[in-house]
Amino acid sequence: MTRWAKLSYAYAALVAVGVAYFLLDLPIQVSDCYGNMVKAAKGTLSQLVASEFHQQSYLRPLGWAQIRILLDLSQGRYFEWFRWWHAVQIVLLFVLFLRLVRPRTLASAAVVPLGMAALIGMHTFAGTVRESMPVNMFLMVLICAFAATDLALGPPRLWRSIAAALLLVFATLSVESGILVAVVFVAAYLVGARGVSRVGVAMQVLLVIGYLVLRFGILHIGSPGLEERTSGFGFSRLDPSALIEKFGTHPLPFYAYNIASSLLSIVVSEPREGVWVATRDFLRGDTRVFQVFNIVASALGSALIVRYIWRRRREWLARRFDRSDQLVFIFLAMAGANATVSFAYTKDMILATAGGFYAAALTVAARDFIESMSGLSLARAIAPMLFLVLLSTTWALRAVNAHMGLRIAAVKVRTEWAYVDSWLKENPEVLSEPGAAEMKRHLQDDAVRIHPLRPKLAGRWLEWFND
Amino acid sequence: MTDTRTTTLLAVSVATPIVLATVAVLAFSGLEIAGRTPSAIGPPRNIAEAVGMGAPSEVLRLLDFGDDPNRVLSVRREIISSTITRVTALEAAIWSHHREMMELLDRRGAIVDGDTRQHLICLTKDVGDADILAYLSGGREVECEQGRALAMVEERSRKSEQER
Repeated sequence: MTRWAKLSYAYAALVAVGVAYFLLDLPIQVSDCYGNMVKAAKGTLSQLVASEFHQQSYLRPLGWAQIRILLDLSQGRYFEWFRWWHAVQIVLLFVLFLRLVRPRTLASAAVVPLGMAALIGMHTFAGTVRESMPVNMFLMVLICAFAATDLALGPPRLWRSIAAALLLVFATLSVESGILVAVVFVAAYLVGARGVSRVGVAMQVLLVIGYLVLRFGILHIGSPGLEERTSGFGFSRLDPSALIEKFGTHPLPFYAYNIASSLLSIVVSEPREGVWVATRDFLRGDTRVFQVFNIVASALGSALIVRYIWRRRREWLARRFDRSDQLVFIFLAMAGANATVSFAYTKDMILATAGGFYAAALTVAARDFIESMSGLSLARAIAPMLFLVLLSTTWALRAVNAHMGLRIAAVKVRTEWAYVDSWLKENPEVLSEPGAAEMKRHLQDDAVRIHPLRPKLAGRWLEWFND
Repeated sequence: MTDTRTTTLLAVSVATPIVLATVAVLAFSGLEIAGRTPSAIGPPRNIAEAVGMGAPSEVLRLLDFGDDPNRVLSVRREIISSTITRVTALEAAIWSHHREMMELLDRRGAIVDGDTRQHLICLTKDVGDADILAYLSGGREVECEQGRALAMVEERSRKSEQER
């Protein structure tokens, strides 16, 4: 390991400490967590997993299994186990990220902070840390996708193909977007990565087909329809009845809109969850600071990635790909695939996997930018330097925003717990389960008494970070 | 040599802003662990302040520690207003403009009798919050002398300021 690599890992450790500090302030949520934990605690693990093969709209047996295993391991110490597991996931993600971008030289180490800021500062990442469910499956898929890339870009070994198959099964049966793991292996193979063999990649394709047959042909689980959720369209969100009224008989334009919105969201951070929020606010004369730096950061970052692809076009057309090319190509494939699987419903968090690969591609592109400019005289290097400072500053603000978002989420979750009785009035079925009342008391204690609210922040600077 | 120097400068340009931001986050965390949260208005000093700051989890915590929501307490000027500095937690809940906050206190038995409810209803009318008024009155009409309840709280705050 070079000193630059060591320095990069040391820096990543500091970032992890910062994220973990804010992450460990976040109690387990009421909505999407407490009810899930009550459900996961019922019966035995095998009964839980078996029952998840007979649900409507969702097929996540291994996702539920993870919640149950952590529940059993915690023996009632829910906060410690679930929140620390979340922090461990972040560490794992950072290690995998560094393994992908391989910082071995000055230039490659210098762009690590940018890459990590993009990783945690992307709006697609926010949900993976602000929400827990209580094990965040979208973060798990991102980790699996990074692990898949690490497997695919390594030297050819039989065990890698076997691990690839296991990884896909694990990710796909944890949450639907786990299917994106197969995209990594196929895309990597297309650009010459042979860590997973041709048979291994063929196995990925077969497993995906098998999953689709199981889900739609055998179990008839289907997928969520328009009637399930509100969804962004244009300048606002439409509730299910409005969606059905507008697109009920012809949903294809809505699906196309969602795919296009998702792609744009990854590349320029607008629209968000299908809503053109920044554009709407700009037209109203109500643009907020964070909207500006979000879009500027993404636009500059995407410009660097486009520049990289343009510079490498001849090698790509001649099918000569190095590791950096492979990472950028996997990002492109992932952006397309992630946007496509968001056809029915686009949400920032669902795009977390593409967002993670955006960070990797940006790291590669920024390193290439620095290396390509290294021959310039100091006077001529001023413009590129200013560009890098602007790029880096906007991403730095987004990274700070990610921490502030966790702080705000921590306040909201504690408010949820203070008002949990009102929530239970609307969801009375949760309390009817055995152990639910005791678990509620325990989780509320964790959120309110054992880990009380940290001091409230004040100041105009907070308006900069209110995404 | 030019290559190395230019590369170094470009490397510094791209890394510095983000590294500084990371240092700022770590410094913030460190100071908070040391009990000196930067840019914070500080934790609520009592249950009335917690209610006024709209911090229901703190309210719940303080209730569990035995704080009395009917006790008149001092609140800092920036919590409600410069003229309202001596209130009960129940009164502060009206200025929080959160019906859920009033419900939370009520559910915990804070509205102990009819007189307390009557006072809160009249104060809510004076302050002006239709949602909390509907909750407290249950939709029935309650007679109040306009401005009297608010004047009482203001007078209490004024006296306290003078005594200081």
